[in-house]
Amino acid sequence: MSRSGSQVQRMLALVPYLQGHDGIPVRDVAEEFGVTPKQIRDDLRLLMYTGVGEYAGELIDFDLGALEEDGVVYIRDAEFMPRPLRLNSSEGVALIVALRALRASASGAQLPIIDSALAKLETAVGEQVDAPVDVHLEDVDAALQTTLVHALQSGQRVRIVYGTASRDDRTERDVDPRRLFTENGRLYLEAWCLKAEDLRFFRLDRIESAELTGESADDHDAEPRDLASAFFTVGDDTPYAVLDLEPRAHWLTEYYPVQDVERRGDLLRVRMFGGDWSWLRRLVLRNAGSVHVVEPASLADEVRDHARLALGAYDEQ
Amino acid sequence: MADRKTERLMNLIFALLVSRQYLSKEQIRQTISDYRESASQAAFERMFERDKEELRELGIVVEMGSNDKYFDDEVGYRIPRDEAELPDLALTREEAAVLGLAAQVWEHAGLAGASTSALVKLKAAGIDVDPDVLRMAEPKLSADEPCFDVMWDAATRRIPVAFTYQRPGHESSRRHVQPWGIISWHDRWYLGGYDLDREAPRIFRLSRVVSDVETTGAAGSYEVPDDLDMTKVAAALFPAEPDRVAVLRVKSGRGQALRRMASAVHPAGDDHDELEVPFASAWDLASEVVAYGPDVVVVAPDDVREQVVARLREAVGSSS
Repeated sequence: MSRSGSQVQRMLALVPYLQGHDGIPVRDVAEEFGVTPKQIRDDLRLLMYTGVGEYAGELIDFDLGALEEDGVVYIRDAEFMPRPLRLNSSEGVALIVALRALRASASGAQLPIIDSALAKLETAVGEQVDAPVDVHLEDVDAALQTTLVHALQSGQRVRIVYGTASRDDRTERDVDPRRLFTENGRLYLEAWCLKAEDLRFFRLDRIESAELTGESADDHDAEPRDLASAFFTVGDDTPYAVLDLEPRAHWLTEYYPVQDVERRGDLLRVRMFGGDWSWLRRLVLRNAGSVHVVEPASLADEVRDHARLALGAYDEQ
Repeated sequence: MADRKTERLMNLIFALLVSRQYLSKEQIRQTISDYRESASQAAFERMFERDKEELRELGIVVEMGSNDKYFDDEVGYRIPRDEAELPDLALTREEAAVLGLAAQVWEHAGLAGASTSALVKLKAAGIDVDPDVLRMAEPKLSADEPCFDVMWDAATRRIPVAFTYQRPGHESSRRHVQPWGIISWHDRWYLGGYDLDREAPRIFRLSRVVSDVETTGAAGSYEVPDDLDMTKVAAALFPAEPDRVAVLRVKSGRGQALRRMASAVHPAGDDHDELEVPFASAWDLASEVVAYGPDVVVVAPDDVREQVVARLREAVGSSS
């Protein structure tokens, strides 16, 4: 959309909005509209040249004293436009698809609320909207999610049994839930873990069970943790291996962090990073036959030892 | 000048919106200073046509008609207020909160902007949006694929496209597709549609499109099947329904992911459990089992057991 176009959109919404919010500070308006206060001031200046005619009383006006001195907005002579316009199709599609994402990640009693919001939203859009866009999330146990949502709503502590993938162990812990969110298309719980005495993220499909403790959650004054630092990121001391990938393992480069990709005939030689060495070992084993360890030798040895031990179990039988 | 144009468009919208009657071109010209001051009638008409087109792009419908249908009156213009204005949506507090949460879902700049501008319209209609009324999962949708915007547009407007597609481990190929829809799965975007070269429905991962996307026809130039089920077109993306059961011998306290999948767990003595694990693909189950090394052994069925043994042999051989 052109610059004029988006400004026109915003100004058309400002006119009814300001009539409903007499005396609102410019910076609050800016925040609500997602633009700078300067942009709002420019919009207001321009609005004074618009109206239903060209004479005083026909043009939109503002209380300039209040605007200059107190930075607050009182709009006048705008009664001819008391309501905003309908949503256009790009606004409609953006929200409709966002609601589908909410629906895909919600559970239980929240689904009918989302459905009715979706139905009402569709009546708010002017044109017929075609939104051939689906959002899918990995299925999680609906009862488990409902328990967690209930804990969030009522501020309760929850006891969960959680399995970690890379260490392959399970632990029971009490947590105070803070929020549910998605990352990489999966649902996560952010919670204060009483065992770790810190904020932790838990993947919902790895929570084996969750039960309400009946105790109320404490208010932990913790900084929200930076997602990027909690999720896997490659740093100077991240373990890595150099691997040769056969063609049927080339897809790994789309899913996992790799660097220095080099084509050697049919093979791709890559530097693959892992959260820890056991993760890398499991990755190589999982793709045995199509992934070969070039270095380090310690990883190659570990893979071979694990495979040999595992084979032993089959020979015994 | 941008300001001048914004001012003119606003005044045009207001004039057309407040008028109960169709306004003739001449009335419109007299109302708005830029039009009045244009050098000629032709210059005014060109400017007016461009402005109407701009309103159409904003989703504002200008209606053409005549005030008196019995006389051959001049055609006039107006924006019918009852159709143009946002109706009362009668949202409950919770539904409004849901819309507030929805407006925070997009991390893609254009769609986040469209969400914000939709939400301010609702707020301008007096709807009180307090997302804190509800606690629910907060999903995010991002879209980093370079071709996302073009494919989004192609799918929503039914525009046929051509592009070069590169699957890892395969030669790249030129594909001609009638887009049916777009799917998000594991935070990645896929396009589903009719592949004109393969003469069959196909699914494409947007990150594997390695060329610019060429549009090869007009909007709406093909039909999407009435009974389209995108989930079926994209079935290959999703895990299949398990139709077999494997028996696995698993060391106590190990094999967490397999234990979560298991339909039954029996103690098997000697610090081991026997798990019954439903599965669909022997290949995928074997991969999972091999990753656990000596902690998991396949008891049955034979095909999974043989695959695991074959792969373990490769692991012993190939990394030495």
